[in-house]
Amino acid sequence: MSQQPAPAPPYRPYRQVREATPHSRAISCVRFSPCGRLLATASLDGTVALLSPSSLAVIAVLRGHSDGVSDLSWSTESFYLCSASDDRTIRIWDIRPVLAGGAQAAAVSGADRCVRVLKGHTNFVFSANFNPQTSSQIASGGFDCTVRIWDATSGRCTRAIEAHSEPVTSVHFIRDGSIVVSGSHDGSCKIWDAKSGACLKTVIDEKKPAVSFSMFSPNGKFILVAMLDNSLKLCNFATGKFLKVYSGHVNRQYCIQSAFSVTNGKYIVSGSEDNCVYIWDLQGRNVLQKLEGHTDTVISVSCHPTENKIASGGLHNDRTVRLWVQDS
Amino acid sequence: MNVPVVDPYQGEFPETIEEYLHHGTMKCIAFNRKGTLLAAGCSNGSCIIWDFETRGLAKEFRDKDSTAPITSVSWSRYGHRLLASATDKSLTLWDVPTGEKIARITLQQTPLRASLQPGSPTPSICLACPLSSAPLLVDLNTGSTTVLPVSVSENGNPPAPNPRNKFADGTPPFTPTAATFDKHGALIYVGNSKGEILIIDSKSIQVHAIVPIPGGSVVKDIVLSRDGQYLLTNSNDRVIRVYRNILPVKGSREEIRNISSNSNEYGSHYDKLKANGTSCLILSCELLDAITKIQWKAPCFSGNGEWIVGASANKGEHRLQIWNQAGRLVKMLEGPKEALIDLAWHPVEPTIATVSVTGFVYIWAKEHVENWSAFAPDFVELEENEEYAEREDEFDLNPREEQAEKVVIDEDADVDIETSEKNTVFSDVEDSVDEISYLPAIPYPDSPDEQPEKCLGSSKLEDSNHSGSPSSMDAVQNGQAIPPASSPMEVDNSTAEDPEEGPNSKRKRRLSVKGLELQQSEKGKKGSTKNKSLGKSTKSSAKKMESANGNSSAFDDEATEDDEINIDS
Repeated sequence: MSQQPAPAPPYRPYRQVREATPHSRAISCVRFSPCGRLLATASLDGTVALLSPSSLAVIAVLRGHSDGVSDLSWSTESFYLCSASDDRTIRIWDIRPVLAGGAQAAAVSGADRCVRVLKGHTNFVFSANFNPQTSSQIASGGFDCTVRIWDATSGRCTRAIEAHSEPVTSVHFIRDGSIVVSGSHDGSCKIWDAKSGACLKTVIDEKKPAVSFSMFSPNGKFILVAMLDNSLKLCNFATGKFLKVYSGHVNRQYCIQSAFSVTNGKYIVSGSEDNCVYIWDLQGRNVLQKLEGHTDTVISVSCHPTENKIASGGLHNDRTVRLWVQDS
Repeated sequence: MNVPVVDPYQGEFPETIEEYLHHGTMKCIAFNRKGTLLAAGCSNGSCIIWDFETRGLAKEFRDKDSTAPITSVSWSRYGHRLLASATDKSLTLWDVPTGEKIARITLQQTPLRASLQPGSPTPSICLACPLSSAPLLVDLNTGSTTVLPVSVSENGNPPAPNPRNKFADGTPPFTPTAATFDKHGALIYVGNSKGEILIIDSKSIQVHAIVPIPGGSVVKDIVLSRDGQYLLTNSNDRVIRVYRNILPVKGSREEIRNISSNSNEYGSHYDKLKANGTSCLILSCELLDAITKIQWKAPCFSGNGEWIVGASANKGEHRLQIWNQAGRLVKMLEGPKEALIDLAWHPVEPTIATVSVTGFVYIWAKEHVENWSAFAPDFVELEENEEYAEREDEFDLNPREEQAEKVVIDEDADVDIETSEKNTVFSDVEDSVDEISYLPAIPYPDSPDEQPEKCLGSSKLEDSNHSGSPSSMDAVQNGQAIPPASSPMEVDNSTAEDPEEGPNSKRKRRLSVKGLELQQSEKGKKGSTKNKSLGKSTKSSAKKMESANGNSSAFDDEATEDDEINIDS
């Protein structure tokens, strides 16, 4: 504290470099792989597409779900991808053949890559997340109001937590995999012990507005929470205090997935219902840029783990995945 | 990481059986350094590694040469190696990440226990305790063995030299001897049949100190706490003794050499070693069952060294006692009527894993008591009534004050979202060490006919119906350890007897009063959830209708339908 932190580097704007339409219906989720070599997209058409993170060319299409897919999560080594679907299942896909590359990857059909189907949710599965510490554990939340913890190896549901009184909109593991944060339409955001299933803390406890998204910061000290009142809040979950509020975007209806950008400067990135991607300065809370180009709600954004890239996905009237790059 | 959230006042020892692990017939267990993996040795010679986070099977090591029952398993310091000793006199060293066998040694005696040298991430030296011979240091690369001295003559004669690589002809066998490395492997503590603790330099194989144990009874177990500060012995006189280790944990070899070289003017070598012993270990308490005076089995320390657990050695009894460091009994735990054959306390959690003679591993954990304050901010449970001082203007409307509170947030403070703190529990580790805490998860594919997996609780109830109880097994005679070779036969016999008793006893014991209350409260909770679910569907319909009405003038039917679906996703 005695030394003032170095001033943030001046902001350099993002511009769109690529656009692709890998799906026939609304896109629900975009996720860069932790290794940075793939971009996974999910759609209401029930498929998961693997794209090149530079050209957005479709490398593989994973078929198997019988209904729309709402969320994706990569395992830490990028070997596995899990998808949460309205068919009430979570599927685990083996991505290693795709990462190995070569013409063989294209020849392998998607269904053969599904190594496990997790069954147990009694309604739509809305969110899923791999434990970043051990990829043998998956957390999921759904419209049956439960948060479930799964053993990915055997497909067994090890915990079924009656977490909320309304659909669960998001689940996310902390970096060491010990606790899970969940957000729900019931307006609450809670923290659960991943091992025992006990409720450790309720961070937000309002009836309205609904919590549409929640995730831990990279170091696991803060929670970023999106509410359906056009606000994103950064909260210290140990003390329960809100530290930052980000606004200016439109978010009243959809569960828009946000992201932290840490590769160059510290930004909060989120989609918006006014068809833009918003970028805020983490510290100053000011809007640094509005990325325009989508023609419908931007439902999901993802930041590349090592490069200054943002991927975004749009809903039905847009259906595009767009790639934004920061000029250097 | 959880520390700010978890209640710091909750107890630190387990209270009830939480669940059990079942795969093959497990005989012995060991946690890795962080407690994320649990290794188990089976009666068919295989080793299993459980992912203790998910309680799922992570890996299995099999070899065509290894078919004899495993007597012990031991992890290397950072989890890269696993050592197994077996009743066919073999020691097998496995590479954990690859599952390959690195070395296999056959000794002249069956090793009851073997442990890898703790100072090295990939050790090639291990300490083996045979059934009825002196402990050995074994080089797993070359197969050479070094016999450790197990006694020092009291009458002044120099101890007989121990030849390397072979036993002296005609050497009479000793009764069981216990031995363990100290924290970094510099010293070895040996408990012998005369009731003495010998402290031996693991390099020079020289006895530096002797600590006579009160009672002078055969030492059956000798265990060091995880941090190296305490040592316990389990003797044939049914007493567990806890010693405080006053040697420094690091540099113990140098310190004990200093003590040895500085001591003079003693009548005999034995007296000198005894004097050295008083500078190494101090007896702090004795633990025994004052009423039934049972023999103890598999005593050990808790991960933080604050508690000592001992299991009853009686057959047909799965009973644990937990004491604190002052020697006060704090907990007695009873499980199914099956003999307990091994035990391990989790390195960081109040969790104990116990091995039953049936081959099951029971996991004991704290009873979960709901922390109701966690469900609502500003809600606090009171232990006692508190007098409430009502403010004079408490029920007046104060709009200005209410607004003022909302602006209390200091939004200008800088937020660090990237820096993460080191876990202080493992602070003795250098950052650069590549430790194996988890094995990569490889989901095995669904079989086409497989029915959906049930949640853990259901499968537990189903499986427990098939387990038998060895209630007819006799008590251990004269406190001798059960010979491992005969255990499989006993298991076979017990399976045929009284198949109904096991499940019944489990069902009875599983429900404590707290558990019953918890179940009732959970039922109430679930009931309310179901009621709300009905309301939920109504709301959902209303939402969709609103959306459709709002958009009907702008979109055609297909678009409207998609919008409705979008609401859900």
